[in-house]
Amino acid sequence: MNNDLRRQIVKIVTAAGEGHIPSSFSIVDILDIIYGKFLKFNPKNPEWPDRDYFVLSKGHAAAGLFAVLHKYGYFSDQILDSYGKYDGILGGHPDRTKAPGAEASTGSLGHGLPFAMGIALGLKVRGKPNRVVTLVGDGECHEGTIWETALVAQNLKLQNLCCIVDYNGSAAQILPHPSIRAQWEAFGWQTLEVNGHNPSEIEDALNVFGQANSAKPTCIIAHTVKGKGVSFMEVHGPWHHKIPNTQEFELIMKELS
Amino acid sequence: MRQAFADTMLEVGLADPGLLVLVGDISHGILQPFAKACPGRFFNIGILEPTIVSMAAGISRSGLYPVAHTIAPFLIERSLEQIKLDFCYQHIGGTLISVGSAFDYAALGCSHHCYDDLAIVKGIPNTQVVYPAMPNELNQLFKQTYKNEFLTYFRLPSEKHGFTISDNDLQIGEAIRVREGNHITLVAAGPQLKTALKSIDELLAKGIDAEILYYPTYKPFDGARLLESLNKTKNTIVIEEHSMFGGLSDEVMRHSANGGFKYDFINIPDKFSRGYGSYDDHCNALGFTVTNVVDKAERLIHK
Repeated sequence: MNNDLRRQIVKIVTAAGEGHIPSSFSIVDILDIIYGKFLKFNPKNPEWPDRDYFVLSKGHAAAGLFAVLHKYGYFSDQILDSYGKYDGILGGHPDRTKAPGAEASTGSLGHGLPFAMGIALGLKVRGKPNRVVTLVGDGECHEGTIWETALVAQNLKLQNLCCIVDYNGSAAQILPHPSIRAQWEAFGWQTLEVNGHNPSEIEDALNVFGQANSAKPTCIIAHTVKGKGVSFMEVHGPWHHKIPNTQEFELIMKELS
Repeated sequence: MRQAFADTMLEVGLADPGLLVLVGDISHGILQPFAKACPGRFFNIGILEPTIVSMAAGISRSGLYPVAHTIAPFLIERSLEQIKLDFCYQHIGGTLISVGSAFDYAALGCSHHCYDDLAIVKGIPNTQVVYPAMPNELNQLFKQTYKNEFLTYFRLPSEKHGFTISDNDLQIGEAIRVREGNHITLVAAGPQLKTALKSIDELLAKGIDAEILYYPTYKPFDGARLLESLNKTKNTIVIEEHSMFGGLSDEVMRHSANGGFKYDFINIPDKFSRGYGSYDDHCNALGFTVTNVVDKAERLIHK
């Protein structure tokens, strides 16, 4: 578990008074492995043509993405600390025209996955080996465009596309999926399940995707805990878009120390 | 115009390996020459228009030049958020080309009619809006725009207007003065240029010498040519197969406000066209006729 990254997230969200802490906590361990162990990228040249692509489809977890991009050298402490400021480049959702390393501007759910599929198809048409990873929320898997994309990507045999589902139980609060794994498999995807807070399981699954032995796109269902790492935030509801007060901030930092 | 679309895709696709065409289960027959000449760059994706638009934006992000094509209400109204967020907000270029202009699918009712598409796309930053109604207009304006950084929307009507404008005179963002006159300016778009041209003889018989401006580009709007004409004629009638809201009519008013000019409009009122029949039936019902142009011109000039 990455407590350093979690503390960064809490710090910038609290200072800005904007952000989704539990959603970021749920994915930050996954993002750290994606950037630390899997993606090919160059933070000094974010548009490097030979890079792999990561698209954060659940854009409201932007604080988690920014903490990870900062860790891997895309921007300075000063930029990270400017999160949420009016004239800053980092906001409550990623804006690719401002934030280095953000491949897509997302926020409305159900856009990042089809956008990532377009990148994957374009790379395939151009005969390029680069890979495309995207991350969607389980609540986002209510959106019709997720399943439209699931159908198209398998039909186009986009083995260079991996969709990670942050299965943190948000969807189940409202509209549960009878079997999320069976759904992706029924749509023709190579489907794996991991503990989304276990680094080696995440890395192993990404490597299965990376070996490209299957002609199918890959779905990794990552079982996660929303708010993971802070006991009183590991609940659905009240903390989703809440900003900690001074006392709560101290308690959070204590648990993450 | 659908054939003109297929011909232009073939011509540009042969010259540019970056052109890629996505369709939503229409026009796949007519696009076979492109598909055969440009293997691996034609995709009949399926019936899921918002996803086609999102993936087209991703294709553009990967370094290619996507064209997404289907019927106007599905391409624009159904996919509005994808146009706004995945192309325009991200300042990603690409091309959307529709058929089923206004009430072209006359007898199919509201689901297949689309009167507000030009206003919708115009209202989003980083867009260009083109309404060609002759094959060379599409061909020339597509070549000028498909590689630029804007989301460019082409609305293709079934009907052509039949008046040939030379390739050299077709520039994105420029109106064409089709006829010079002194008493009134007929501002026409799409197939309605034909109605404007057909009105000339009857207008002349009534002593009205009309100028005609034709707008194949809605955005960017050519305000200079409009003002040049209105400063001379002082009167104008706008004729467009589009909602009264947000189309050429609004642009004409906005660009000539405070000029003391007199206006009238032939467009689609604030109600659904519930009739069936043919394209011509809809034109007659909505007043896209020579008689209506002449009546309005007389009333405007003599009031």
